[in-house]
Amino acid sequence: MTRNFALFPLMVVIILVSLPLMTMYGFLILDTFTDAPPGELWPDEFTLRHWRFLWDMSAAGNVWMATLNTAVLALSMVAVVVPVSSLAGYAISRLNLPYRRFFLAGILVMHAFPAVTLLIGVFFVLKFTGLYNTMIGVILVKGALMLPFGIWIMKGFYDAVPWEIEMAGVQDGASRLTVFWRLIVPQVKPGLVALSVFAFLDGWGEYLLPRVLAPGSEMTVMSVLLNQLIAGDDIGFDFNLFKTVGVFYTLPVIALFVIFQNRLMTIFGGGTKG
Amino acid sequence: MSSFADPTLEGARSSRPSRARRAPVSRLGLILMAPAMLLLTLFFFLPVALTGVFAFTDLSTSTGIGRGDYVVTPNLLRELGDRGMSSADLEAVSRASVTVDAETIERARAAGVDGRFLDDIEGDFLGRSFDAPSDFERDLRRLRTAPRRARDLKSAAALFETSVLNQRFTTSDGLSAKLETLAPEVTPAARAQIVDASYTGARFTTENFERLATQKETARLVANTFLYVGATLSLFNVGLGLFLAVVLFYTPKGMSSLFSTLWLLPRITPVVLYAVMWKWFTWEGGFLPILAEQVGLPSFNYMKGSVVTAWATMITLNGFIGASFGLILFSGALRAIPVQQLWASEVDGASRWQQVRRIILPQMRWPILFVTAYQTLSLLSSYEQIWLTTNGGPGRTTTVWALEAFKTALSNYTGNLEYGMGAAMALVLVVVGLVLSLIYLRLFKFNELVGRPKIEI
Amino acid sequence: MRLHLDNFTKCFDGTPVIEGLNLTVEDGEMLALLGPSGCGKSTTLLSICGIYRADGGRILFGDRDVSALPSQRRNVGVVFQNYALYPHLTVEENIAFPLTVQKKRTDKAEVARQVREIAELIHIEALLSRRPAQLSGGQQQRVALARALVRKPDVLLLDEPLANLDAKLRLEMRSEIRRLQLETGITAILVTHDQVEAMSMCDRVAIMDKGEILQIDSPTEMYRAPANRFVAGFLGNPPITFLDGQTAQEGRFAMAEGLTLPLPAHLRNMPAGRPIALGLRPEHFGHGGAGQASGRVTFVEPQGREMLFDVQAAPGVTLRSIQPTRDDVAIGDEVTWSIDADRMLAFDADGRRL
Repeated sequence: MTRNFALFPLMVVIILVSLPLMTMYGFLILDTFTDAPPGELWPDEFTLRHWRFLWDMSAAGNVWMATLNTAVLALSMVAVVVPVSSLAGYAISRLNLPYRRFFLAGILVMHAFPAVTLLIGVFFVLKFTGLYNTMIGVILVKGALMLPFGIWIMKGFYDAVPWEIEMAGVQDGASRLTVFWRLIVPQVKPGLVALSVFAFLDGWGEYLLPRVLAPGSEMTVMSVLLNQLIAGDDIGFDFNLFKTVGVFYTLPVIALFVIFQNRLMTIFGGGTKG
Repeated sequence: MSSFADPTLEGARSSRPSRARRAPVSRLGLILMAPAMLLLTLFFFLPVALTGVFAFTDLSTSTGIGRGDYVVTPNLLRELGDRGMSSADLEAVSRASVTVDAETIERARAAGVDGRFLDDIEGDFLGRSFDAPSDFERDLRRLRTAPRRARDLKSAAALFETSVLNQRFTTSDGLSAKLETLAPEVTPAARAQIVDASYTGARFTTENFERLATQKETARLVANTFLYVGATLSLFNVGLGLFLAVVLFYTPKGMSSLFSTLWLLPRITPVVLYAVMWKWFTWEGGFLPILAEQVGLPSFNYMKGSVVTAWATMITLNGFIGASFGLILFSGALRAIPVQQLWASEVDGASRWQQVRRIILPQMRWPILFVTAYQTLSLLSSYEQIWLTTNGGPGRTTTVWALEAFKTALSNYTGNLEYGMGAAMALVLVVVGLVLSLIYLRLFKFNELVGRPKIEI
Repeated sequence: MRLHLDNFTKCFDGTPVIEGLNLTVEDGEMLALLGPSGCGKSTTLLSICGIYRADGGRILFGDRDVSALPSQRRNVGVVFQNYALYPHLTVEENIAFPLTVQKKRTDKAEVARQVREIAELIHIEALLSRRPAQLSGGQQQRVALARALVRKPDVLLLDEPLANLDAKLRLEMRSEIRRLQLETGITAILVTHDQVEAMSMCDRVAIMDKGEILQIDSPTEMYRAPANRFVAGFLGNPPITFLDGQTAQEGRFAMAEGLTLPLPAHLRNMPAGRPIALGLRPEHFGHGGAGQASGRVTFVEPQGREMLFDVQAAPGVTLRSIQPTRDDVAIGDEVTWSIDADRMLAFDADGRRL
């Protein structure tokens, strides 16, 4: 990059702007193993007692069960979103669909369309189908709302595969399905990985849908558990405990993010070229 | 790919009448689309349709979802009286009578009344009616098998009372027939009015929109929404995003990736934890209030304590999530600027500010437009973060349209969820969202995306 | 196998881009489809292999009408410009792919044997375990050829196969592809925009423009006797120079700019005043003959063995000559060189050769 300019003032500015975030995330980590006297900012004592919820179920409820439930929700998201999107994405990218333009425009509009506004309508659908208050309902809804995005992302990946590969496959005597499965899918593996990770993260962090569409479900997920912890007054207000549970809850997210950072970047940009 | 020249260029011939066979429909394509279409229909299109339909109903917790019943309640009669129905008719409807027939005996048996007693009642009174319950009780007391305790007798006698009041009928005909037998003197017209008014289910109405159009609250919601979307978008999603992108463009690689990761954190942090962090940051006993106290500034719960700080908090916490979207998109666009352009401008003696203003910003127009269009849509409908933090408070000062729609229909403390009203509010958002996303579609140069499939088999 | 296109028509969006095209490629022949980009040659090729479907007419392989068959059942081998090797498979798996997707299962040993056989023919035995990304351009080209030939197709189609190679490899692969075609005796079509490729590799050349075949002939015949102005202009490097003018008295040709030349012998009897165009190839200027032209040398381009001269014979009229390298002529010199008038090509106002 160009280096003809002084760097120092820029560094100061960027650090100043980022200060609130650095503080919040810095103390998020710090507070999980320290205690500060009331009314003080800086901790004066090292402690591991905020982590007691890991074995003491009375501290924050059954976090292990909730973690398992969250994992089930997140993995189910992957299981719904990735296969369905990669099939539809291929069809929309490469096959002679009737009304293909219409499909494409529809997916693009739905991709931008704010799906949360449909929550009330979704609530009725679940009521009528009897899926209200079940985790299956939550998974299907969450998966369906993510589909336009997933299809769009996968379409982008398929578009990047040279047509000649497909033509060569057809010439070699393979059916379109064989071509898709044996020749094209291996080319979009990075897309499948990125979408899987993204779907997992999306499911892992979800709060609204389980809370609203399955309030009475037996399956408490971590987000709901954490919020109940804060809303409930049986434990008293203990930010350090909330943060520690929160950090525990967020660890897999951070891990996945660190491993797949580069692949996720395209997806965080909305899967769009500017 | 160059060998597959654009077919439209090749076909620079006179336009003869079309002889083209349509490329055959790919059955495989339809099969591959099927699962997606099923899910989208169920949880995307159907909800849109339902939102549209229920927006025109008065569906709520009290009407219940699904079919309603026909029930005449004392409340309803009072209401009808207020609307001018004659009191003679109302009295007739509310009158109770005692009938001994197979139905009432069965009802009493089911309620656990002594069987021998019932046999006697059946033997002596079957087919008879009494105008006053007290007459019936007096007659019952004469029976040998009658319960000794007055209270038991009274409750047994009550089982033979039939009144239309508080009885549920699944059809209007059922209620109508019952009214006719119990209160034959009521005119058919009045009866029809009672039956119609007694329906407990949801009805079609445009009242929701009338209410939205007339109530003062609407103006405030709209103003709040505009302020929220406008401020968050301009200050953070575009403003801060662009600022960060440009600054990080000039910083060394390690530094810039460190900061872009930091700014991505709010987006990947689960929303509940993110809310906890902001509560810790702004609530009394939290970071900012303690800091303020130490330097002698007013210290209170900034998130909920005053209107100004609540707005500032709400916009900032949402803006911090959105900034990364702009940052990623703008950074990509910046990297696409040929670096020779920048070198050339430096050789020409441009200062950094001039470089940014004259060379970089003009090339950012398209990405800015794109981020604005895309993020307007998501901000317009986002309420999860607000719900978990200020929750529209203090009072209702930071309530935006989407949050109000959500609370009206799905989450409030009074217990009566007004689905119809919420759907009406959501429908407004759906329509606005559709219009905006169609505009967004145009921005996308859609035709470039719709390349024809190159294999026609 | 003989390949025949009978009245073949192809439309895009209802607009015909190729209409009523007839073409026959004899059994064992290699034919070049030569033309500028956008002339319809790739469209024709993709229609023969079934990627595009014909909108009219018939495509025959021998006596078999394949017009309505999907690609998979046409038994055509194709080599694409960018080779289209499957990046995730090894060379061996790439070549074996056509065999493994066949309806009748071929057992593994047999697949391996056939792959090895074709690999030996194409000299890539040593590369079998590599992946495409580890191969040079020429090697990828060979693998693509092997994959196209392994299932013994009826027809081999080559779509600009040499375009992605550097100059030296191109020369090598040119003869290599021709050798394979001759050895296997397969009917082949080469699509290219490079006249040298077309002329050096093929038995016959079909020149296409705007969806029509203008001429089909052997390379030498086509160069010597092009059917029209387009073909004459397309073939030859450095290209032919066209002179637009009229016939004049005494079997001469005159241009408005002032240059006059004798007409070719067979046109001497034409009445005066007819608009015609003469085509003068650089090798017919300055190499003896009945006519001559003088002018000032405006440009000299040494090419090593030969030299190219631009001579301004009249205002706005530049003649081009190619001659063995000489150093007695420099820019600005006035020269008078002979023109072999009898070997000039003449075209009427519609561009047809006279």
